[in-house]
Amino acid sequence: MIEFIHVEKIYSNKVKALQDVNVKIDKGEFVAVIGLSGAGKSTLIRCINRMHDITSGKLIVDGVEVNTLKGKQIRTFRKRIGMIFQSFNLVTRTSVLKNVLVSFVPDLPFWRKVTGIFSKEHKIEALTALDQVGILDKAYVRVDQLSGGQQQRVALARTLAQQPDIILADEPIASLDPVTAKQVMDDFQRINEELKISVIMNIHHVEMALQYAERIIGVRDGKIVFDGKTEAVTQEVLDYIYKGEREVQQAVEGEQAYV
Amino acid sequence: MGTIERQLYASPNHKRYFTFITIILLLLFIWSFTAVNLQNVESSGWEIASTIIAGIFTPDLELLLTFTTQGVPYLLLETIAIAILGTVIGAILAVPLAFLSASNVVPSPIAWLTRLLLIFIRTVPALVYGLMFIRVTGQGPFAGVLTIALISIGMLAKLFVDAIEDLDTSILESMTSIGCTTFEKIRYGIIPQLFSMFLSIIIYRFDMNLREASVLGLVGAGGIGAPLIFAMSAYRWNEVGAILIGLVVLILVVELGSNRIRGKLVRG
Amino acid sequence: MYDKIFPPKRIALPNGKVVEQKRSRMPIVLVLLFLALYYSIQFTDFELSVLLDRWKEFFFIVFEMIPPQWDYFPHIWQPLIDTIKMSLLGSVLGSVVAIPVAYLASSNVVKNRALVSGTKVFLSLLRTLPTLVTALIATFIFGLGTLAGTVAIFIFTLAYVGKLLYEQIENVEMGSFEAMESLGMNRMQAFRYAIFPQVSPNFLSTALFCFEGNVRYAAILGYVGAGGIGLLLNEGLGWRDYPSVGMILFMLVITVFFIERISEHFRKRLI
Ligand SMILES: Nc1ncnc2c1ncn2[C@@H]1O[C@H](COP(=O)(O)OP(=O)(O)OP(=O)(O)O)[C@@H](O)[C@H]1O
Ligand SMILES: [Mg+2]
Repeated sequence: MIEFIHVEKIYSNKVKALQDVNVKIDKGEFVAVIGLSGAGKSTLIRCINRMHDITSGKLIVDGVEVNTLKGKQIRTFRKRIGMIFQSFNLVTRTSVLKNVLVSFVPDLPFWRKVTGIFSKEHKIEALTALDQVGILDKAYVRVDQLSGGQQQRVALARTLAQQPDIILADEPIASLDPVTAKQVMDDFQRINEELKISVIMNIHHVEMALQYAERIIGVRDGKIVFDGKTEAVTQEVLDYIYKGEREVQQAVEGEQAYV
Repeated sequence: MGTIERQLYASPNHKRYFTFITIILLLLFIWSFTAVNLQNVESSGWEIASTIIAGIFTPDLELLLTFTTQGVPYLLLETIAIAILGTVIGAILAVPLAFLSASNVVPSPIAWLTRLLLIFIRTVPALVYGLMFIRVTGQGPFAGVLTIALISIGMLAKLFVDAIEDLDTSILESMTSIGCTTFEKIRYGIIPQLFSMFLSIIIYRFDMNLREASVLGLVGAGGIGAPLIFAMSAYRWNEVGAILIGLVVLILVVELGSNRIRGKLVRG
Repeated sequence: MYDKIFPPKRIALPNGKVVEQKRSRMPIVLVLLFLALYYSIQFTDFELSVLLDRWKEFFFIVFEMIPPQWDYFPHIWQPLIDTIKMSLLGSVLGSVVAIPVAYLASSNVVKNRALVSGTKVFLSLLRTLPTLVTALIATFIFGLGTLAGTVAIFIFTLAYVGKLLYEQIENVEMGSFEAMESLGMNRMQAFRYAIFPQVSPNFLSTALFCFEGNVRYAAILGYVGAGGIGLLLNEGLGWRDYPSVGMILFMLVITVFFIERISEHFRKRLI
């Protein structure tokens, strides 16, 4: 369970990226975070695994107060949280399998860390993760020879191999074409349902968000302006999240507005 | 699990190749250790090192700041002069040699022969040339200039050739299509392309030549090298310190300048 | 600045628009170049007449070297091998040590500003020291012989490979590094798994290139007593035994040629 209590984040350049954020996310939920560019979505997600420090408030993940962790504790904590990026962030010069194996590195004995020689068990685990996202046959191909969608699946497999409880995804489909995007979203859904991993996803594509997520969080100017079940999201809610105008909300009230 | 295990064993096997290369490298490495003879190492090495370092950090300021022919500034100027003149002469002579060894300009036997000559010129150490030129001009910076010129020919010609062989010939095609003569093609199609590249190479070489010129004094070919070596062999480490500081500052400044100019040349 | 002293030329187009053309810097560059050349000639006592008069002396020596004294070969063999060993050892050790040093000099992986700039300054200072001078100093500390030469080559390699390596590290795509951190790796591990694979082909290629150059350079280190074939070269030139010098140079050229071929072969495969 993830719980934000009065969380505030101010960057070193005085930008207030999060203000008084209060959110509670239960295990196994599929949450989509939507909002304009610069609203603070990435910041919100990155605070969860302490890629960013929060300035004040409390952020509790599974009973652990995240902002009190230090050094090694942070890294141990991060192992339980997978992260997916818009630009995949793979090591493109090496093979798919090696990219997945990387997720075992923090637990390896020193000599294996240095040499990068992995045991057979780990290789099988990594291949299993690749199988789960349907690209087992690409295991020995270099990443730069794959399509964008395939690369995002490698990233997904890397995260699965970590066996996380939570997956954070920062605009995972923003650089994919609509068809591939749909396939990747299907993967996320399957992982969420079958493995009971919570998914928290930033996404610009509202239709996708509404189709796949159970719950929508709307962010504007660092504040949570909407938090509720997907069914409750209407056009006026979207306008409110994206434009922030009450008038607009009133204006559309009468019309049948559902996306 | 079946398909997964099958994939596991389908891993392409570079292992043998890698082990082979690694073993060869390791053997070479161990073999090269046999060259290191430790019996000459004097037990006082550490003490000597600390005297040297102490001397270098308390430089002889008088030497560093006098403007006579013995002082560091004059010697540095002489070194710069050797490097400038040597680079210019070398560059002028390197251009025809470069064209003579470019396989897209002259028939390949000629190119091949010139290349062989260039390899020879490049490999002979600068100090050897220095000693040979001293027979021509006597001791002094003149010999240094000729030495720098000759080694520059070797290096510059090689880099020039690469530039010539990378020429963008599509421009020439389009010039032919609008009816240019050979002369016009060379003047407007080739020279503008090559000029800035050659200039950038020459400036880079000047940078290197300055370093070379600073040690030529070892054989009596002028520059700051001779006083440096004398001071060293007489264990006058404060003088060594003064000269080294001057040299290091000069080389750093020239390197900064040359990087900036070359950056501008590349960006146009 | 320049544009203020020499205002740009204005060209009026037929349709009334005015285009400003900056004055070419060519004249001032040429003037400076000629001044530099003039003073260089003064400083170095350059005299064309001497050159025209006595250039034959140079070729006199060259012709004395031909034919080389073939039976000098057994004397050359050992120092030549020593020279190769020195450069190999110095290059390998230098390149290996360059990795942690370059790590410390990369501003994108090490957050301590002072450490990063300190390491960078250290590397550029090392690089400005002429190798022959390092070698000479090394002979005072480590005694005459190959160890001093190896140390000099080690230092040069460290400085050269280290600089190129940190420049590459700083230009690397940092996304995968971030991903490794999000997996729970520390910065060092993230460097090993995200950045090292990206820079290693280039690193190996640079190291090989440096080794090529070092073989060539190691040949003169013996001149200051730092071991290898330079010692023989020094002797031969001192005694004016030019046929032997010719033989040494001949062997050197062949060796350097083969090492260049081999290294070029591997470098082509790396990139
Ligand atoms: N590292 C940083 N340092 C300073 N300010 C930052 C930093 N990262 C983000 N910001 C600022 O914080 C605010 C929120 O940024 P954030 O990246 O969280 O937005 P976002 O909702 O993810 O936008 P996008 O949809 O474009 O990714 C922006 O105003 C941004 O300029
Ligand atoms: Mg973002």
